[in-house]
Amino acid sequence: MILKVWGARGSVPAPGPRMNRYGGNTSCLQLSLPNGEELILDAGTGIRNLGLELAGRRRIHILLTHLHLDHIQGLMFFPPCFRAEVEIVIWGPASPEASLEERIARYISAPLSPVEVRELPCSVSFRDTPASEWELGGATIRAESVTHRGPTLGYRIACGETTIAYVPDHEPALGAPLAGLEPEWISGFDLARDVDLLVHDCQYGDEEYPEHVGWGHSRLSDTLTFAQRVGARRLLLFHHDPLHSDERLDELGVDARRSWRALGRDASEIEMAAEGAGVEVEPAVPAMHA
Amino acid sequence: MAIQQSQKPLELILARNLLTSVSTPAFLLDAESAVVFYNEAAGALLGRPFEDSGRMSAAQWTGAFGPFDGDGTPVEVDSLAVTDAIRAGRPAHGTFEIRAADGERTAVEASAFPIVASPNGASGAMVLFWPLDRNEPTR
Ligand SMILES: [Zn+2]
Ligand SMILES: [Zn+2]
Repeated sequence: MILKVWGARGSVPAPGPRMNRYGGNTSCLQLSLPNGEELILDAGTGIRNLGLELAGRRRIHILLTHLHLDHIQGLMFFPPCFRAEVEIVIWGPASPEASLEERIARYISAPLSPVEVRELPCSVSFRDTPASEWELGGATIRAESVTHRGPTLGYRIACGETTIAYVPDHEPALGAPLAGLEPEWISGFDLARDVDLLVHDCQYGDEEYPEHVGWGHSRLSDTLTFAQRVGARRLLLFHHDPLHSDERLDELGVDARRSWRALGRDASEIEMAAEGAGVEVEPAVPAMHA
Repeated sequence: MAIQQSQKPLELILARNLLTSVSTPAFLLDAESAVVFYNEAAGALLGRPFEDSGRMSAAQWTGAFGPFDGDGTPVEVDSLAVTDAIRAGRPAHGTFEIRAADGERTAVEASAFPIVASPNGASGAMVLFWPLDRNEPTR
C-alpha cells in the first residue's frame, strides 16, 4: 500500500510561508492499494489538489472520520464532483439525528455554499459505516468510534498482509492513564493493534496540552504511549496544530524520535506527516523460525 | 483480519473515565450486569479497591457485597433496580444495604441509569450510591 499525504493540518487551513514544508491543507490521505484501487481518507482542503490528479477515475470512495469542517471542507471543491461520469461514495459515521447526506448538506448548501448536494453533476451517494468490517476495493475496513468531540470514527484498513490505522482526531488519554490501563479500556486500541502503520493525532506538544485537555486531541507523549501500547510498527504523526510552523514541527519531530528511542524503539519508525509525502507501507517481515 | 473483540464500547470507556473523576461512589456495569469498574469512593465504601476485585459477575458481586434488604435478607439479582435499568433501558432508584469487606453493613440509596448508544439496547449502566445517614429515616 502507498499512502500519500494531501493535507496534514488539523482544525483549520494554515497556509503561509512558515508552513510550506509541512503544508497548510487540512486532513486528506490517498491510499493506493496493490490492486490499483484507491481509497481517500477524509476530505479536508487537501482533497482539492488530489482531485486534480484523479482525472481518469470513474468511481471514488471517500471515508470520513467525522464531519468537523477540517475533514469535509474540500468536498465542495473536489474536481471529480463536477464530472457527470464520476460516481462518488462517501462513507461516514451514522447518527440518530440525521442522515449522513443531511448532515453534510448543512455545509454544501446556501448560504454557506454556491451549490447544493443535489446540483452536483457527479453521482454521489452517502453511506453509514457498517457496525462490522466490510470489503471495499479489495481492502477490509473496520470503523470504530473513538474519543474526540462529537461522534468520530477511526479506521483500520487491511489489504493482503498489510494493515494501517487512521485515527486523526483522538484523545485516548482523556481521564485515562494510558500507560497502565488494560487494552480493553483504551479507545481505539483494537483499531490500531499491531498495525504496520498508525496515522495518529499529535496536535500538541506536551507543554501545550494542559490548556487543551478535553479538546479532543493528543499531546505527543500520549500519542507515543498509545502507539507503543497497541504495538504499531510505524507511526505517522498527523493533524498538526495550525499554530505550528515548519520550525516548530521540526522540533516536535526531534522530541518524538528522542522519546520513541527512550521507549526502546527505533527512531526511523516515526515520521511527521508532510503534505506531498508518500509512505510505502509494507507488512511485517514474518518471524524466522529456527 | 481476525481481531479480538475484547474492547469495550466507547460509551463504557467514557463512562469509566467520568466515574474515575468523581467522588460519589459509583459502579459501572456491562450488558451482562457484571461490575466492570468501580471508582475510588466506591472502593472506600466497600473496603476493597477495584484493583483487588477486578471484573465481578452479578453473582460474585451479590455474594460478596449484597445487597440485603432491611432485615439483612439477600436480595435477588433479578429484583434489583439496576437489573431492570439495564434490561428495560430505563433508569431506576432503590434503597438497600450492602456489606463491606470488613462485614459492616451500610444503607445506601442507589440510582442506576442505562448507557444506551445503539439501537441494540444498553451496553451497560452506571450506578451511583448515596450512603444513608443511619439516623436519617429511610426515604
Ligand atoms: Zn480534525
Ligand atoms: Zn475533529
